[in-house]
Amino acid sequence: MAQVKLDIFRYDEAVDAVPHRDTVEIDVPITMTVLDALETAKAEVDGSISFRRSCRSAICGSCSMNINGVTGLACKTPCKSVMNDDGVIQIDPMPNFQPMKDLVVHMDPFWDKYTRLKPYLQPADRDEDHELERRVSPADMKKLVDAANCVMCATCYALCPVVSVDPSFAGPAAIAYAYRFIEDVRDGKRKERLAQINEDYLWLCAHCYACSYCPKHVDPHDRIVDVKRATIQEGVMMDHPGPRHALVVNRTIKKTGMLAETEVILGTVGRFNFRAQLKVAPLGLRMAVKGKMPPPFLKPIPKADEVRTIFESLEVPT
Amino acid sequence: MSSTLLPEEQATDSHRHSKSSEMRRYGFFPGCVAKESCKELFNSTMLLADKLGIELIELTAASCCGASVVNDTNRDIARVLNARTYAQAEALGLDDVITICSTCTGHMRAANMELLESEERMNQANSILGKFGAKYEGSVMVRHLLWLLIDDIGLDKLSSMVVRPLNGLRVAPFYGCHIIRPEKVNGWESARNPHSLEDIITAIGGEPIDYAGKTRCCGFHIQLEKDGVATSMVGQNMRIAKDRGAEAVITPCPLCHLALDGYQQDAAARWGRTDLPTFHLPQLVALALGVPAEKLGLNKHLIDPRTILVERELIA
Repeated sequence: MAQVKLDIFRYDEAVDAVPHRDTVEIDVPITMTVLDALETAKAEVDGSISFRRSCRSAICGSCSMNINGVTGLACKTPCKSVMNDDGVIQIDPMPNFQPMKDLVVHMDPFWDKYTRLKPYLQPADRDEDHELERRVSPADMKKLVDAANCVMCATCYALCPVVSVDPSFAGPAAIAYAYRFIEDVRDGKRKERLAQINEDYLWLCAHCYACSYCPKHVDPHDRIVDVKRATIQEGVMMDHPGPRHALVVNRTIKKTGMLAETEVILGTVGRFNFRAQLKVAPLGLRMAVKGKMPPPFLKPIPKADEVRTIFESLEVPT
Repeated sequence: MSSTLLPEEQATDSHRHSKSSEMRRYGFFPGCVAKESCKELFNSTMLLADKLGIELIELTAASCCGASVVNDTNRDIARVLNARTYAQAEALGLDDVITICSTCTGHMRAANMELLESEERMNQANSILGKFGAKYEGSVMVRHLLWLLIDDIGLDKLSSMVVRPLNGLRVAPFYGCHIIRPEKVNGWESARNPHSLEDIITAIGGEPIDYAGKTRCCGFHIQLEKDGVATSMVGQNMRIAKDRGAEAVITPCPLCHLALDGYQQDAAARWGRTDLPTFHLPQLVALALGVPAEKLGLNKHLIDPRTILVERELIA
């Protein structure tokens, strides 16, 4: 047995103007999870402590919370791995969400992102046209399994630094789940789904890999990249900055071997989009004053033709 | 015919460099930004290498690492571009490729991992490299200068070389995502609680600031995607650093540098003024090791770091 001091965020939106913290001391077996410790605290010390939980085994996705500043499932986190030398474990609600009561948060923005992507199969043909169920080969299903493992615990959404400053971004979970339908051979709305997820700022993913801590190993970042590739393959929304950026970067590397900064900036905002250019101009000017402007044209690297050979050998015609 | 891309005299025979030899030799991959808008990073890296007595042999014919963007369109191209770079290092008898950019580090390591763990991918790469007489044998290890400082030079040695200690300058470390995450690609230190930059800051006489923003994202990759988002990510992180008492920031990544140095001014509207000067990793280390400040390109920064250095009596 060990003594654990749960330092818990307490707040009730119905009565409290500001949150406070309570410390609850309990004796627990050393193998106990943070969720079980919370259950013990609620049963034995303070019945008013609120948190979401159901399955206790990382299947339902209910108990994601912030434990010592790290967001994850309480049912998958042993106390032993997070308590400090004094036995203290700090527990807070998931960041990027509005707290409702203690560790329970308002999940609405997260569910809204799901609802928008119509998370159900929309086949192009009618059920009546099929004598049996719609068959999917094991190879086609293999592509979907990881993404379909998502338990919607919102850990990735809570960890996402883009969501933290701009909630209009769909967030990692919704994009990974969109992938699950975009790549489903039974679905008939691939282009529409791609257009929708692009509208919801697919390209705002900053490549930071904060979502690589998915407790179910969905790897949302890799699914986001898959959806970006599908976007370009299908030629969806090609007049938007995201796809334009991807294509101009490829173009300059193919041409010079290097990522030509000046050309990439102009190509991304649009060479003739003077309004957008005006917006980046002040920073450009400040850099120019300091002699920090990238060169307008780049000299190709030695043997740049080798780089061209690599591109030409691997480019998939679209 | 091997694809030897530097002057013949720089190429060695089959002898691999020895880490214990007096003059350590490393393949050096500066990346695009250190050759374009952050030339001060390239120059201060070379000055630091001189001080440390190591030889950085620039892979002058190397291409861009793909910068996460080539990956967005075609993972195979990103991987083979990097295989070409590794083949160049091998042709020079070098098995280290040293980077000075977090994004280069992460993407080059990922490409290398993909090549080394799959014969099929390695064969695909070599069938294309073969068209111009190059081959990657799989001997290269991609490391960041930050790791080299700690693994090969050592913190004690570094500390003993300091001639201009930072007088307890309060410096906030800013790692940049791709040098720590994903852990399966980098794994050199804990991605959730890294401390290599803190160790360096301490070794050169500064005081590291602990703050929640140190492992977060600078937003550089999405600056042109939607107004204000990257700016706000910078503002948020710099606000926390400033509130924790930081006087300056240090980063091993020129993309983070462009973002932190460039966007703080515009972030002030939402996050309040922070104006934290940002040092490239080799700039601050070189300064402590006695490289004259005027050689480090500090005048190129938008938020002038010389002000705080003068205030703390580190430069005249």
